[in-house]
Amino acid sequence: MEPLSSLAAEYKSGSPILLEKIKVLDEQYAAIRRTRGDGNCFFRSFMFSYLEHIMECQDQAEVDRIQPNVEKSRKALQTLGYADLTFEDFFALFLEQLECVIQGKETSISHEELVIRSRDQSISDYVVMFFRFVTSAEIQMRTEFFEPFILGLTNTTVEQFCKLSVEPMGEESDHVHITALSDALGVPIRVVYLDRSSCDTGGVSVNHHDFMPVAGDLPSASCSSVKNFPFITLLYRPGHYDILYPK
Amino acid sequence: MADKYNLKNPAVKRILQEVKEMHSNPSDDFMSLPLEDLCEIAVLCVWFNGICRGAWREIENIFEWQFAIRGPRDTEFEGGIYHGRIQLPSEYPFKPPSFMLLTPNGRFETQTKICLSISNHHPEHWQPSWSVRTALVALIAFMPTNPNGALGSLDYKKEERRTLAVKSREGPPKFGTPERQKLIDEFAFSVIYCAAEWTWLSQIHEYMLSKAPPVPQPSATEASDEHPRSEEAEALVDSPNPESLPAGERIPDQEGDGIVEEQEVLANANPAGVEVSSEIQSNVSRNELPQRSDTTARVHNPRPETRVQKPDDRLFTLAAIGLAIAIVVLLLKKFIKSTEHGALFSNGS
Repeated sequence: MEPLSSLAAEYKSGSPILLEKIKVLDEQYAAIRRTRGDGNCFFRSFMFSYLEHIMECQDQAEVDRIQPNVEKSRKALQTLGYADLTFEDFFALFLEQLECVIQGKETSISHEELVIRSRDQSISDYVVMFFRFVTSAEIQMRTEFFEPFILGLTNTTVEQFCKLSVEPMGEESDHVHITALSDALGVPIRVVYLDRSSCDTGGVSVNHHDFMPVAGDLPSASCSSVKNFPFITLLYRPGHYDILYPK
Repeated sequence: MADKYNLKNPAVKRILQEVKEMHSNPSDDFMSLPLEDLCEIAVLCVWFNGICRGAWREIENIFEWQFAIRGPRDTEFEGGIYHGRIQLPSEYPFKPPSFMLLTPNGRFETQTKICLSISNHHPEHWQPSWSVRTALVALIAFMPTNPNGALGSLDYKKEERRTLAVKSREGPPKFGTPERQKLIDEFAFSVIYCAAEWTWLSQIHEYMLSKAPPVPQPSATEASDEHPRSEEAEALVDSPNPESLPAGERIPDQEGDGIVEEQEVLANANPAGVEVSSEIQSNVSRNELPQRSDTTARVHNPRPETRVQKPDDRLFTLAAIGLAIAIVVLLLKKFIKSTEHGALFSNGS
């Protein structure tokens, strides 16, 4: 976790628009956590941010809420013809992490351990892959909805898109991925865009987009320490996602 | 040992699951599938059994698998049995398994890692939702494709590949330590057993088809369609010691012998099937001639020649006997399959 000033330092001799924008960000956000730039950054950022939220809030309600959604994804994959053995390990590992972040159990882990696990490829990559499966299942179950977006990105069928751009590790995520994951799990995600675009009106503002799930049961804002909603905020710079911490 | 089977290791867990799935899954689907699909499934079925025995009993390293595939139908590889090895990376399933063929085949170099792109577009797009099964099915599908100069690929002529396909049935490839060879031989036996059974079934099927409707004048294409079939049958007869086997008794007390015998019956019956439907003498000889030269040229077996020259009614009698015996064997096989077969396969594990 680094203060936003480190972000400013990165662009010291860069575009003035970006520096202006970072100043604006600095007013709203306290810190940034950098994620490995290996093409999995969106999923990895989401993983850490989500698990960290549950840990900080001890949000058992959220754990209970998300589990049926996970099961729905599992069923979807089965319906789509995936062999159980090809995805069950990833599902199991995610559910295990979900249990671990709730305190007071034998398996409970500290925040420090969560950071370690998120860097441990044999755990982190499995959770990333779990999200990739969930995303792929959601896209394929709602082909008609996603088709126009996918056609706008690449000239492939929905199924090919999932095979080539969602399921393989290291494939970068786009708004299609984010929408699908957010919808599938019912978790809202805010993405803040840091790019060179500027408004004509003169004043510098930072665009953000909230991905709000279509499905009914949103996480309850029960956790007092969470002022912001959505509770997951990611910073997008072209080609990369990091985690932002609101003030 | 405990290290290697560490269930905490996600790769090991996944591999054991794949082994388990392959062991438990196929037999039910197997019998209910249409004949066209049997080709691939038969391979996988046997392969599962071979693997399971190997994986659990002798291979100390579950990251290394042995497999055998049948050449895809309607290609120059048809009838061939190709052995190979799979190496699973420690990062499996995040990294793809690597494949290596051990049987000379004319499409892939042996003992060389095959560059296998499962998705046609991006070879590097291996994904964890695939399994060894997926990859193996893809490998079969890849055999008849154009190599386009890919690394480790061979572009042999069709005839050369066909010769290699015939040769591949002679036995498993020889390599490695005696223990490993023993394992491979054992594995190969079950492969050949199942593969031969499949060929036999499909030939019965085709023979029945050729007999059923009274076709007045078989066209030239029909006759040439019959070629690869009888050729293949002869190739099977040409295995180590067919002469020593009496053609009369059919109850296979030893499976290996049983296969050879069955093929022999069909080799006899099959050309007859062509001739039954053709009334005109000139037509018969036209059908016979290329067939004779073909078989003698490719498979060095003197018997087809004498057989073709036999009088017609002898052929009829032979065909009738052959058919009757074949039906009996078929029924017997079905019976054995429903009772003994399961036990036979589960023995090893």
